[in-house]
Amino acid sequence: MTVLDYMKNNFVFLDGGMGTLLQKQGLLPGELPERWNITHADKITDIHRQYFDAGSNIVNTNTFGANCLKFSEEELEEIIESAVKNAKKARETSNGTQEKFIALDIGPLGRLLKPYGDFDFDEAVECYAKTVKIGAECGVDLIFIETMNDSLDTKAAVLAAKENADLPIFVSNAYGEDGCLMTGASPAAMVAMLEGLGVQAIGANCSLGPAELRSVVSEYLKYSSLPVLLKPNAGLPKSVDGQTVYGVLPEEFSDLMENYARDGIRILGGCCGTNPEYISKTVQRVKKITPKPVTDKNVTMVSSYTHAVEFDQVPVLIGERINPTGKKLFKEALRNNDIGYILNEGLKQQEKGVHILDVNVGLPEIDEEEMLQKVCFELQSIIDLPLQIDTTNINAMEKALRHYNGKAMINSVNGKEENMREIFPLVKKYGGLVVCLTLDEDGIPDTAEKRVEIAKKIIDTAKEYGIPKKDLIFDTLAMTVSADNKSAVATLKSLNTIKNELKCHTSLGVSNVSFGLPHRDILNGAFFTLALENGLSAAIMNPNSNEMMKSYYSFKALKGLDENCSDFIENIEKYAVSEASVTSNSSVSSNLPDAQSELQRAVVKGLKDKAAEITSLLLENTEPLSIVNTQIIPALDIVGKGFENKTMYLPQLLMSAEAASAAFEKIKSKLKEKPAETVSKGKFVIATVKGDIHDIGKNIVKLIMENYGFEVYDLGKDVAPEKIVEEALRTNTKLVGLSALMTTTVPSMEETIKQLREKAPDVKVIVGGAVLTKEYADSIGADFYAKDAMETVRYSLQQK
Amino acid sequence: MNENTVFVKNYRENEILPAAESEIWRYAGFLGNQNEINAELSQTFENVKNEIKDLFSYKVCYRRTELLWEQGEPVLPFCVHSKALAKLLEGCGEIIVFSATVGLSIDRYIAKQQRISPVKALLANAYGAERIENLCDTFCGDIKNQLQNENKYITRRFSPGYSDFPLESQTEMFALLDCNRKIGVSLNESLLMSPSKSVTAIMGIKYEKYSSSVKQKCGDCKKTDCIFRKQEK
Repeated sequence: MTVLDYMKNNFVFLDGGMGTLLQKQGLLPGELPERWNITHADKITDIHRQYFDAGSNIVNTNTFGANCLKFSEEELEEIIESAVKNAKKARETSNGTQEKFIALDIGPLGRLLKPYGDFDFDEAVECYAKTVKIGAECGVDLIFIETMNDSLDTKAAVLAAKENADLPIFVSNAYGEDGCLMTGASPAAMVAMLEGLGVQAIGANCSLGPAELRSVVSEYLKYSSLPVLLKPNAGLPKSVDGQTVYGVLPEEFSDLMENYARDGIRILGGCCGTNPEYISKTVQRVKKITPKPVTDKNVTMVSSYTHAVEFDQVPVLIGERINPTGKKLFKEALRNNDIGYILNEGLKQQEKGVHILDVNVGLPEIDEEEMLQKVCFELQSIIDLPLQIDTTNINAMEKALRHYNGKAMINSVNGKEENMREIFPLVKKYGGLVVCLTLDEDGIPDTAEKRVEIAKKIIDTAKEYGIPKKDLIFDTLAMTVSADNKSAVATLKSLNTIKNELKCHTSLGVSNVSFGLPHRDILNGAFFTLALENGLSAAIMNPNSNEMMKSYYSFKALKGLDENCSDFIENIEKYAVSEASVTSNSSVSSNLPDAQSELQRAVVKGLKDKAAEITSLLLENTEPLSIVNTQIIPALDIVGKGFENKTMYLPQLLMSAEAASAAFEKIKSKLKEKPAETVSKGKFVIATVKGDIHDIGKNIVKLIMENYGFEVYDLGKDVAPEKIVEEALRTNTKLVGLSALMTTTVPSMEETIKQLREKAPDVKVIVGGAVLTKEYADSIGADFYAKDAMETVRYSLQQK
Repeated sequence: MNENTVFVKNYRENEILPAAESEIWRYAGFLGNQNEINAELSQTFENVKNEIKDLFSYKVCYRRTELLWEQGEPVLPFCVHSKALAKLLEGCGEIIVFSATVGLSIDRYIAKQQRISPVKALLANAYGAERIENLCDTFCGDIKNQLQNENKYITRRFSPGYSDFPLESQTEMFALLDCNRKIGVSLNESLLMSPSKSVTAIMGIKYEKYSSSVKQKCGDCKKTDCIFRKQEK
């Protein structure tokens, strides 16, 4: 019998702690327990046998840390082979009569993935793959991925298991006291991602005792349509009279586990501090209960690395602004690789309250595969909203889905046979909630009936791939009413049928309805309300539209979806004023001499809003460049000198820099009208060197250099020497700034300088960072050591 | 002796000493008179404090082991030759090796603010630095009190990278403390820790009366031009 067959109708019992028992047997601090599979095979076999004797159905091999980061490939093979052999021997010799299975145990690699660590996702998948391949060849019954404290790392391990073995996969995460993984994911987020990836059982282990895991367990049982597993610690270890004591004893442990079994946990075991006695007691207690059936919770969710967004009664807002269509500046940003611009579009929409961000970076002249993955990665570095990956390029779609941290929305599939055959395998492999457009080979049907027919066809085809209805969301296509005044009716009618009869979720790109008409916002808002009333679950929309936001908050309040109307009261003020009346009624007079000195004062004092406001006023009758030269630069000089003379310090310098940036924003948009004029003082490439992930200092230099009029090309952190050289050549820059914070990363700084000297000999290199000194900078061949941002500015200005 | 066990301590916000604002300003590079901070900057700081107050998750894992001496050198559970460390541990019969972190959320906040407001990023970074130092002080204070019952005394703490204590020792300290599993701290190839607001350190346990402060001092750091250097009193 396979483990999957067995678990259909039975509780499954896991084993308990291994590390604690090995320490009792003499494992030394810092010693790698996996080596004991070879050196102390008997002891390992004996522990496994004790667990089988205690009633465990599944014993995990002693391979928690068996990966290629810790062991050579040769040793890794020997360790895993011995480990599986030990477990098999224990199975043969145990006197237990229950069904017995052996799981290949996989723990985290111990390296944090990018962006907050330095380990690459693809490399992590490769590492896990090596362990999986060896284990699968040795003949295990399942793969048990456990104690994972990061969602992306979990995904890497699961993909490796899926791609390199045809075995059931159980996944167990380690939650902290706050009920989240160390890197922030909630249980619901993990359920969404792991169900999407198609594993066979999910749950929690380690870090906490059974009682402390209560809220985590409840969330799993609420959302998971898969069997849930639980493998808690025996509480936390305490030192009592020099002896280590775990807080929860076998009796209490089995008591709590019995309760969890009654609540619906189907797979039970123990982690640190538990031993065969804990398991045996748990087995005795739980065995008497009838297992609660595992049911389909039918919850539609997407997730980010922190939380899940559920599609239920409250409408979900999907921000549409990350999209180059019809946006000149966005296109320019894409061509210039200006990720900062795109991130700002994301941040602004998050601020406005959207729940999900649509990401479309398709432009004929750029490499969409690379760009889409990069943009998703950068967005996920600073914004915790789930993303909707929006592309027609199937390779770009796969790459983005593979690297996405969580369960993404996928935009989109349609009723064309060929399209479904392309998209559904990706959904099956990586998980996702797919936007399904109700069009097919014959185009967009005019009637609601035909659109519903297409929806049915899509549901049936998805089913063939094993994709459930809950992972499909239907877009019945809003068309402009100016071209066909029946089109909105057809859209709404099909929406209604799909929601109420097919019981599927729906979404719409709402604003298409008003194309070609004046005051589009007003029509969009009205259509949005109608669509919501007809069962719209989510809207792809522009959160800057007041009318749309008004509809959203009003709908929630009117439909009993906003307790005490508190969301409405809190937010509606912002949208109550019409755009036209928002013009500034500033107290600042445009009486020039005063306003001018006022701008200087605003920059020096770091008054961001005021600086922007005064600049706007000045721009009405002053040349932009004159404002820069007579106001902003002198103000910055006052601050810069203050900083150098230590009458002003870094926080004040940055306040002024931000105020100056706000003024520059206004000036730049004015200059766009006369492209010939520029404030550029020259180009500057900046990066934190390879291996280093500190970037606060680098970003300060970037900001101040921009203030002084340099065009800054920021490559970010952990940047390879080749990349820096490439960018210097591409932009034809004569100044490069490098930052390193650790003695261990100065060698990559040295290497970067070496490569720059070879390939771009006329470039001047400025270096900085906590561990550097002038002598150190000279010894690695830098042109200049800058101890702070102002020194970088002074040196750079001299180079002209 | 429970030398094999790595203990974990989770602290709640109210168990940590309140944030020392003067320290935060110092970490942010502000070395002037705090009265000179204008309303705009103070308000920014207040906003930062509000936004990050719930982001910290204070965790420490540690191990207490016996310390043997061979030819005047301490035999540590990892390979290291450091005169400064040997000097610190003089007369100690045990050591405590620990790692502490305030979690990853503050790193995320800082990264986000770097795109929105660099001054907020700077202040949050300084706040995080103060929190992790404060966590270490709190933990060391607890150990100090606990040892008083045994009539034992702790030295101050010493971290890889201090003086001649090589940064390379990080690898072994991580293995010894099982940091990733216990408190979610990991080490990258450049021996940098993630989350960034994390510390590893070692302190000695003396059996004879000895007085030390849990607060760190700058005295034996070689970087004498450091702007953060505190004047020894």
